[in-house]
This record gives sequence, structure tokens and C-alpha cells, in this order.
Amino acid sequence: MNTPAGNGRRPYMRSMQGWWRRNTFYVEYMIHEATALFVAAYAVVLLVGLVRLSQGQAAWNAWLAALRSPGSVVFHVLVLAAISYHAWTWFQIMPRTLPPVMLKGKRLSAAAITRSGLAAAAIVTLMVFFLVRGLWA
Amino acid sequence: MEIYAADVAIVGAGGAGLRAAIAVAEADPALRIALISKVYPMRSHTVAAEGGSAAVVQSQDSLDYHFNDTVGGGDWLCEQDVVEYFVAHCPEEMVQLEHWGCPWSRKPDGHVNVRAFGGMKIERTWFAADKTGFHMLHTLFQTSIKYPSIRRFDEHFCIDLVDADGRVQGIVAIEIRSGRFILVKAKAVIIATGGAGRVFRENTNGGIVTGDGMALAYRHGVALRDMEFMQYHPTCMPGTGLLFTEACRGEGGFLLNKDGYRYLQDYGLGPAQDKPRNKYMELGPRDRLSQAFWYEQQKGRTLSGPYGAYVDLDLRHLGKARLLERLPQIYEMAETFMGIDPAKQPIPVRPAVHYTMGGITVDGRCATSLPGLYAVGECASVGIHGANRLGSNSLAELCVFGKLAGTEAASFAKSAPSGDTKSLVARAAASQQRIEELLKNSDGSERIATLRKEMAQSMEEGCGIYRLAGSMQATCDKLMELRQRFRNIKVEDKSRVWNSNWLMAIELGYQLEVAQAIAHSAINRKESRGAHQRLDGYEKRDDVNYLKHSLAYFNADAAPRIEYGAVKITKSQPGIRAYGAAGDAAGH
Amino acid sequence: MARPEMQQDTEMPDSGKTIVMDVLRYRPEQDDRPVLQSYEVPFSDDMSVLQGLQYIKDYLDGSLSFRWSCRMAICGSCGMMINGRPQLACKTFLRDIYPEHVRVEALAHFPIERDLVIVMDDFIEKLESIKPYIIEKQPRPLAEGEYLQTPAERDLYEQFSSCINCMLCYAACPQYGLNPKFLGPGIIALLHRYNLDSRDAGAEQRKPLVNSEDGVYNCTAVGFCSEVCPKLVDPANAVNVNKMEAAKDYFLRLVRPRGGGK
Repeated sequence: MNTPAGNGRRPYMRSMQGWWRRNTFYVEYMIHEATALFVAAYAVVLLVGLVRLSQGQAAWNAWLAALRSPGSVVFHVLVLAAISYHAWTWFQIMPRTLPPVMLKGKRLSAAAITRSGLAAAAIVTLMVFFLVRGLWA
Repeated sequence: MEIYAADVAIVGAGGAGLRAAIAVAEADPALRIALISKVYPMRSHTVAAEGGSAAVVQSQDSLDYHFNDTVGGGDWLCEQDVVEYFVAHCPEEMVQLEHWGCPWSRKPDGHVNVRAFGGMKIERTWFAADKTGFHMLHTLFQTSIKYPSIRRFDEHFCIDLVDADGRVQGIVAIEIRSGRFILVKAKAVIIATGGAGRVFRENTNGGIVTGDGMALAYRHGVALRDMEFMQYHPTCMPGTGLLFTEACRGEGGFLLNKDGYRYLQDYGLGPAQDKPRNKYMELGPRDRLSQAFWYEQQKGRTLSGPYGAYVDLDLRHLGKARLLERLPQIYEMAETFMGIDPAKQPIPVRPAVHYTMGGITVDGRCATSLPGLYAVGECASVGIHGANRLGSNSLAELCVFGKLAGTEAASFAKSAPSGDTKSLVARAAASQQRIEELLKNSDGSERIATLRKEMAQSMEEGCGIYRLAGSMQATCDKLMELRQRFRNIKVEDKSRVWNSNWLMAIELGYQLEVAQAIAHSAINRKESRGAHQRLDGYEKRDDVNYLKHSLAYFNADAAPRIEYGAVKITKSQPGIRAYGAAGDAAGH
Repeated sequence: MARPEMQQDTEMPDSGKTIVMDVLRYRPEQDDRPVLQSYEVPFSDDMSVLQGLQYIKDYLDGSLSFRWSCRMAICGSCGMMINGRPQLACKTFLRDIYPEHVRVEALAHFPIERDLVIVMDDFIEKLESIKPYIIEKQPRPLAEGEYLQTPAERDLYEQFSSCINCMLCYAACPQYGLNPKFLGPGIIALLHRYNLDSRDAGAEQRKPLVNSEDGVYNCTAVGFCSEVCPKLVDPANAVNVNKMEAAKDYFLRLVRPRGGGK
């Protein structure tokens, strides 16, 4: 093993197996990525609704009835939680993806960008909520 | 042994080495350059320089002012013709760095901004916040990548110069990753390895600042000049010695003793004023400020902490916004290392060893007495710092003389014949054997760390801010003893791959010899000048006997031989070195 | 476990307390794989992890290898994994871990040369590949003086010029760990620094690297790189701003196949 004048180099490469469990940051990142599936799932639900709408009144009503089933309610609560988490973490990252945002000659802080993103998301959510409720009534 | 044939070999890839490499590459792209460094270039200690780099740029400033500040600041031990060359070339080198991308701090109109520094009549310190050395080093490193003729040997540890036929013809190095040896043949060699501050206990220097290049040249018969002049920087972190830049004071910081009193006014630097005034108070030169600390300590007017006496560096009145803009790194250091918010609390500071004014003797063109061998930067003594370096002259020196060393070495290399490879290899093999001995036959009982600490402690006691014959003699004796004990050194690690135990033993060998040069130069200088201050009957400057450079010559196992060389005076006759109101009265 | 000898001359006050450091050792000439080795070192409130390692090197085990120099978080040498997180050893304090063990390993995602020393050739080659220097529109003679650059123009790139090449961001980036060809956060930040500099005209020349398969698209916005950066460079920002530019560039090319959109 010992190589007196020669080259004893043997760089050791560590495995990446299970890398995402190595710290909480990675775990959170993976959860964030995984919650994107819930976003996709809900998009499918809406698409199905659209298809049912095109199939006429009966189909549409059946779809609405299905949405009210206990299983569907549980599913929606889950999806709401997942999407909220996704949105929350997405806005945490948002400042890292933008070129400097200047306001009155000063750079907007990351926290301010995140806050305005979250605020905008909340406002849009409420607007959609009340719009849909209004249509319903 | 692997052999690489270069035209110019440069040892050290900090600011000076990189600037020299670029100069060689620009002088003639056909010249093969080997840039050898024991660390990756961006780790070099240039990186830690904070405050800035001098160059005359303001209309109310002049080259003469810069000259006078430098020569007076150096207590007239400067080579005045070299200083003239230096001050004349600083501005173009700073502009050159600007063209290469150095992020100099700017004025609102887009021109480069300058700040005040100690011992300067007019503000002329170019700065990049308080990370000037960092930015200069990275700019030079990144720019050097443009030149294909520069072949870097990163993490290669130089163990010897190879000389033959009366001239230097290459270097031998260890490739740290493998422990293999390489001979770099070269027609000219530039040493740019930095200072030797780590021979002292409390210092601002990085762990790599071990005087390697100085020892290499010294062993090959080149004199080390003015080594007794070690600069104590007045504002360092107690314990670690980490530096709080002079720019803290340039921006308006105060030094306070335990009574909250700006004590510098008691030491010929006053009167105290609220606003920073050039060459007054906190903007006095480093040697005077460190000496004032020492006196305050004697009078019992310093504060006391776990690492001994300290005074307060008060930046609170500058306000958080300005501190973050101008001194962000200082802010970060105070917060993370000391748990102090400098906008709210003063920072405890004390003097620590910072800079080696002396070094490898070179002429005004960076050439040593050994043909083909050049030296530049902190490892060299080109003659601009004299007995006390002015803050912000060292970064400028790297550029001005880095370029000069490069062009001089390039022209020497072009005219020098190739050496006889066979005899060079034989010499290199002998060096290799000597270094391998250290690895093989090193089951001694002396720990590297123990010897290093004893050396550093002894240097602080004998060659500190104030010096006495008795303690200097004790240090000289101690160093001789340590060199003896070094023969019985223990290198536990016998492996080859990245064996830093081995490298530290080699470094310690370098350090002990350089330390000897310092201590013996000091004890022989029987006067007080700049950073060399005695309290044993030699308190005054003695121009009759000591307006001379000390020259320490390597003397094998014995103590160095000390000789003296003339100081070149062109237009500034030695005068009274005064600051504050006294300086104004003396017309400085 | 190696125990500390009592040393009178350490540069730290003696509190009588000790802390255990578990260090990942790998000596290629004798070890098949890395193994943890424990050391008990003196503990004081102001000791950094680096000082702990230096103590080991000086008094317990001279064969432990690690890189270090400046001690003040500017040279970038002493990046390592400390309790699983990439950090500078000089800027991480034992007091924040005491009385737990400190676990120290070589920077993740790089090959280990020995002990805490990684092979950094890949990083250096990438650094050299991106033309990290000012590419002038036309050469400017020195006699014409400096380029004018307002503080606002400087602010644009200043943050990205603060990278100390410590490579913590690479050790934080799982995408780099999975695909070492990825140009990676720090280098893209450096590239971005030159592109943003008002003196530089080299962005077009650097574009192929950024837009390539191993350029910005490897990034999945994990964002840990910016979390661990000791100099607040925010490399994730440099990567993602360039990602947007690259995407824009791609679509503009689709629209104007011969045009090469801006």
C-alpha cells in the first residue's frame, strides 16, 4: 500500500444515495417538489369538470355531486394544504429567481418580495373564492 | 523526478506573483511561465488586505507628497530613487487593475473614490469597500487565466532554488497532492512568497505566511535586508490577532483608553478633533500608534480582557449605514468573531504583528545579487518601506514592482542560455533527498507545534514594539537552541498524499532561519527608528551610525552575519519625523 | 479516543471544559474508505471549529490534514461539512454545538483527496472555462484613465464579485452531487458578475456555456446554495436569472430561427 516515491493518490467519491434525507432543507425541498403533484392533481379535477360541463347539465350535476362526497372533501382539504405549502415555499424561493427589483432607487429586500408575492396570491385566492361564490348564488 | 521546462518560474501566486506572471506573458507570449504556489492563488494572503492601495489621483495631491509621506513615514530608511519610481507608477497600475475589472468603490460621478489613511497628507487610498486585497487578488487571478503561456502549479510547495554556474536555473517543489517532486527548470526565477509574520505569536497573518521565499534566497547567499523592522498594526483582535483595517480610522474611528479618552493626543499626534484630519491622531502612522498603546499599558490606562490589555476602537458615531457601506467586513468580523455590534459598542483592539518591512535584498529593478533571481512583494526589500511602511503602500507595491519584476525577468530569460539539465537534475535530487530525510529520519522527540510556539513567544518577547538588549539576546539564544532542537524534530505522518505535517516541518525550518535574521538584525541596530524602538540607552535615531540598511547573511548553523549597506538619498534629507500639530509646524 | 495533553501555551483561555470532535479520516495510502475518528479537545466560548482542528493537528494527531489560512473567512480555504452542513471552519464556533459532538467531514459532492481535503480540480477547470475577466468592447489605453462606473452600476455586480471560491455552494447543491458536469452555483455567479459589469462586453461569448445542457438548466431551484453562502453572494439568484434569460433566448430563437434574439 505504501508507495514511497510513487503516487499514492486514490481520491474517494462518496455515494449520493439517500441524499435528500441528509438535512431538513433537502427534505423540505422534496416535500415542496412533491406537492407539485397535488397542483397537477387538482388541475385534472378541474379538467374533468370542464369535460363534464361540455357533456350537458346531467353530467355537470353529477360531477358537482361527486365533489360533495366525503372522500372528495377530504381530498380537497388535502389538496388545499399541499397547494398552500407549495405556494408558501414557492414564494420563499421567488426572490432568488428575480433580477434586482428596484423601488425608488433602492433594492427591494427578499423578504419584501416574498411578502408581496404571498399577499398577491392571497388576494387572488379571495377574489376567485368570492367570484365563484357569487356565481353560485 | 518530473521535469518542467519554463523560461520564467514564479514562486508565489499572490498579488505580486500574479502581476509578475501577467507582465511576463505580456512582454513576450512565447515565454513559458511556471507559476508555482503552495496554495491555490485565491488563498494567498493578499486576499486578507482590507483598507486599500495608494496612488495619487486627486488634483490637490502630488507625487512629491506621496514621496514625502513614504520616505518620512519610513524614517528615512527608504531607497529614495526607488520610492520616486514607485509613486510615479502607482496611478497607472491602479488604472490597469480598474481596466481588468477590479471593483473599486466609486464616487457618484463614476470616478474612482479614495479614502484617508494613516500617515498621509492627502487622501490617496483606492479601495473596494474593506475587501481591497480580496478584490485585487481575484481580479489578478481571474485576469491571469486569459494568458495561455501561464502554466500554474497550484498546491506545489517549493523546497529549494536550483543554482548552477553562478545563476539560478530553476526550483524544486513537492506536488502536495501526491508528495512527488518536480524540477521546474527556468532561466529566471521570481520569488513572490509574501512575508514572515507567523514567526510572531499574535499576528494578523494567514497560516501560510511563513517566510518560505526569504529563507530560500537567504540560504542561497542573498542577504535579507532591514529584517528588524516588523510592523505592529495598532488595531487587531485580541487573541487571534485578526485585523481591523486602518480604514476604520480613515473613516473617522476613534481610539479610546479605559477612561474613554483619545489617548493619542498625549503622544505628539494631537490636538484631538472630531473630524478625521490627515496625519493627526488616529491617522498617525502605525508604528507611533502601536507605541502609544504600549505606553498606555505601562500607565495602566488600557482595559483588560481574557487576552490581556486592549483599547477601544470606537466606530459608533459613524452610524450603521456608513459602516455597512464602507466597512462591511469589519462589521461582519466584529459580529461573528466577537459578538459585538460596532454600531452600538466599541471594538476591543490591540497591536499585533502585521507586516515584514524587510526582506530579500533587491535593487530598484527587483533583481537580487544572484543572477536570474528576482524578488517582489512582502518577501522582498525593494526599499520603499524603510523602517515603517505606510498603510496602503503594500498593495500598490505588488502591482508596480510585480510588473517590473516580470518584465525584468522576461528580458533576462530571453538572453540567458539554457542550463545543462543533467546537472540541474542532480542538484534537484540532492534537495529532494534532504527533504525526504526529514520524512524518513524524523522519529525525534520535538513536536513541531512546541518549537513553533516557543519561537513565536520568544520573538514577541525580544522583538516586540519596544526592545531591550537583554531580551533580544535571550531571543537570539532561544532561536539558536530551537535550531538545534529542530534536528530532532518529529514528523508523525510518513505518508505522501497531502502530508501537511511534513510541510509544516519544512516551514518551521524556514521560519527559524528568518526569525534569526530578524533578531540578530534587531540586536545589532543600536538606535531607535520607525518600528525598531529600544529602551536601553538607544532611544534616539542615530543617522551618523545607522542611516544604513542592515544586511543579514546566512551562516550555515551559526548565527547570521550582519553587515550594513548604504541608503540612497535623492531629494529628502533626514529630518524630524513629526505628526499632528508638530508635523504642521515642521512643514510636513 | 485520543485525549488532550495539558498544554500551557494554547492561545485560548483554559476553561477546563472539553468537546468531542468526530472527524472523518481518509488516508488513501492506508484506508480503504473514510472512517470517523474522535478527538477530545479543550473547549472555550470563542473557539472556532478551525481552532479545534488546529489543536488536534498540533497536539493530538499530526497526521490530520485540512486546508486553512486566513482565519477570517476571506481566503475560502476551510470549507467543510460541520454537523452535516457546509460551513467555513474558521467562522463556525464550538459554542454553538457544545456540549454535543462536532462532526466534521470533507465538503460533500467532491472527491476526498485525504481527510478534510477535497480534490477541487473540477471547480478550477470550470472557473477557467467561463472567461472570468473583462472582455472589453475595444481596448482602452491606460492614459485615458479609468472607466466611469456609477455606484449604482457597481452595485449591480458587486454582490456576485464577493465570492471567495469556498465551494460551500457546491457541497450544498444536490444537482451538482448527482451530475458533476453541472457548471454549478459559484461559477455561474462569477460568470454573471462579469456579464453585469458595465465594462464588460463578453456576455455573448459566455452564453454557450450558460445555455448548454450542463449550464443553468441543471438547477432545480433547491436554493440551499444561497443559504450556506458565507458571503451572501446568492448564487441561486445568478443561476435563475440566467435560466430565465436562457429560456427567453431559446424561445426567441424558435420564433426567429436566424435572428438570434437578444
